[in-house]
Amino acid sequence: MSDHRRVRATLVMAATALLVAVSCAPDAPDAMRPASDVDADVEVAVTTTIATVPPNGDSVTIQVLDNSFRPAEWTVEAGTEVVFENRGRNDHNILPPSVENDDGLSSFLGDGSDPTRWGVASSEFTPGDSYRVVLGAPGVYDFYCSIHGSSSGGMIGSITVE
Amino acid sequence: MKVRRVLSHRVVAVGLVFALAACGGSSGGGDSTDSVATEAPAGGTDATEAPAVTEAPTTEPSSGAGVLNVPDDYPTIQDAVDAAVEGDLILVAPGVYNEAVQVETPNIVIRGLDRNETILDGNFELDNGILVAGAGGVAIENLTARNYTKNGFYWTGVTGYRGSYLTALRNGDYGVYAFDSVGGVIEYSYAAGSPDAGFYIGQCYPCDALIRNVISEYNGLGYSGTNSGGNLLIIDSIFRFNRAGVVPNSGSYELCYPERESTIVGNLVYSNNQPDTPAIDVAILAMGNGILSAGGVKNVIERNRVWDHDKTGIGLVPFLEETPNDDMPTEDEWSMSCDEQKNVMPVVPEGALLWDSMYNEVRDNVLEDNRSGDIAVASAGTEISTLGNCFSGNTFTLAAPAALEDVASCDAAIDTAGDWTTGALDVVTWLVEAETRPPSVPYQDAVYPDAGPQENMPEAATAPAVPAGATPPAVDLASIVVPDKID
Repeated sequence: MSDHRRVRATLVMAATALLVAVSCAPDAPDAMRPASDVDADVEVAVTTTIATVPPNGDSVTIQVLDNSFRPAEWTVEAGTEVVFENRGRNDHNILPPSVENDDGLSSFLGDGSDPTRWGVASSEFTPGDSYRVVLGAPGVYDFYCSIHGSSSGGMIGSITVE
Repeated sequence: MKVRRVLSHRVVAVGLVFALAACGGSSGGGDSTDSVATEAPAGGTDATEAPAVTEAPTTEPSSGAGVLNVPDDYPTIQDAVDAAVEGDLILVAPGVYNEAVQVETPNIVIRGLDRNETILDGNFELDNGILVAGAGGVAIENLTARNYTKNGFYWTGVTGYRGSYLTALRNGDYGVYAFDSVGGVIEYSYAAGSPDAGFYIGQCYPCDALIRNVISEYNGLGYSGTNSGGNLLIIDSIFRFNRAGVVPNSGSYELCYPERESTIVGNLVYSNNQPDTPAIDVAILAMGNGILSAGGVKNVIERNRVWDHDKTGIGLVPFLEETPNDDMPTEDEWSMSCDEQKNVMPVVPEGALLWDSMYNEVRDNVLEDNRSGDIAVASAGTEISTLGNCFSGNTFTLAAPAALEDVASCDAAIDTAGDWTTGALDVVTWLVEAETRPPSVPYQDAVYPDAGPQENMPEAATAPAVPAGATPPAVDLASIVVPDKID
């Protein structure tokens, strides 16, 4: 195996932004706004920003395969944009553990005014689509695909924001 | 208690007397049945047509298992599942249950009292009939799942699973589906009407899994296994009237590539040219093939009877992945377990990948009337004499290339200087042909023969709960002979 493939799944991104020292849980950010840039390779379905700090300019990509998130666990600095790319052959969704399915996500997101609420429905995340979320608040963000798993098993993932 | 994804609930009043009444610590008072409906079971060819194999599961019955009766104790299967503890048996009375059941409790058994009349129905709205996520040891027995938008029966991320006497009809992705799971048995089951595979085991290495005595027909693929293998046995089963029959395959759209070390022995594989099934794109591409390794490596294909295919009986061909998600593993990485490979960060290559079929052994099969080659090997640019595949002892009339058994004997060194060109198979044309093949029929609308009632699990009302073991039962592969032809 070549060395460049030996990088382990858990990475810590170098911080490039000034972190605002706010002690808060991941579900208590204070703003949501769209990211400013778009990757020309993929169709951007939805962008969410959960921020206690502004986007720091870093971006990481999680491959959404059939039926796994790769990497399934990742640690990033606050303000990092996480790009989920559906690179599989099937539809998937990305849901917080408290949401049961696509219908539940719709109710959960409501009118979009609550910046703590994020996720993307399978209808907006077909093969080739991407979903971007800027995680500005430290904490652990668990997520899963309800079509191919439950909140505790199957197609699950987690991002730790430091 | 979960209330998720229950559309409605219709249950037939049960006339059976249950011999097992003790509910242990997990029995409880569910609501009574709320409505009644009866539907004639779809069915068809009896799975007992498959050649007999008689090993029983090796796991000992759980002691003191409680029995949770649906609907007598719990109105829905999900209610019973949520109340169950390890070792429990959920016994489901005949009826139509419009539920998408999710299981997160390990080592339970979910069993229908009558395979043909205990029916989970997704009404083309719910996703999976039963989804077992991360809960090892769950056995599902004697049930039918139909009309789900995704899968009939589905295990993911588990160690230990078993599906016995299951019927999966007209589901929108797979019939019986084990993904990222090891230590499994799928047996005495029937699947029809899915656009992907009737039966699937994928993303596992080593899989330690057994498929036996199943019938798969009128699907896009009879069997598909992406990136699976390692003590994975597919034996004594029937794959017919699909677009393509048995298709182990590699690709980086799932993890744990390549597909490797599957053992396919003693199966009847015939007439997989069916033009009017639901079908995903690769099923249309693979149409007309019996056993087709699409980028698989180190598989053993032995003592099968394969006939009546427009393309190949047993074909070893490449899979072209146009937008890969990772570089292709080198041969020294094939021994890496699935768990290890998951931790390797991908390097997305420029351009397409060609997954060649390599080092497969094809022995002692009986083949006839496979119009592009009873046995065949092909690539799309790689010199096929370098791929290490071998063929010996097969009964056939047409090989591609014609001298295949002479130049690629399993019992001698590969003759790379031999004639590998006369009668060679051109698989590149398949890509073109696929464009004009009959398109997929929506799985909701596909018409196929009613297979009639399927064999019930013996003593379903009284047999003890046997959760799935972590390893499948041992199989005496050497005792398996080429099965007799059937009409």
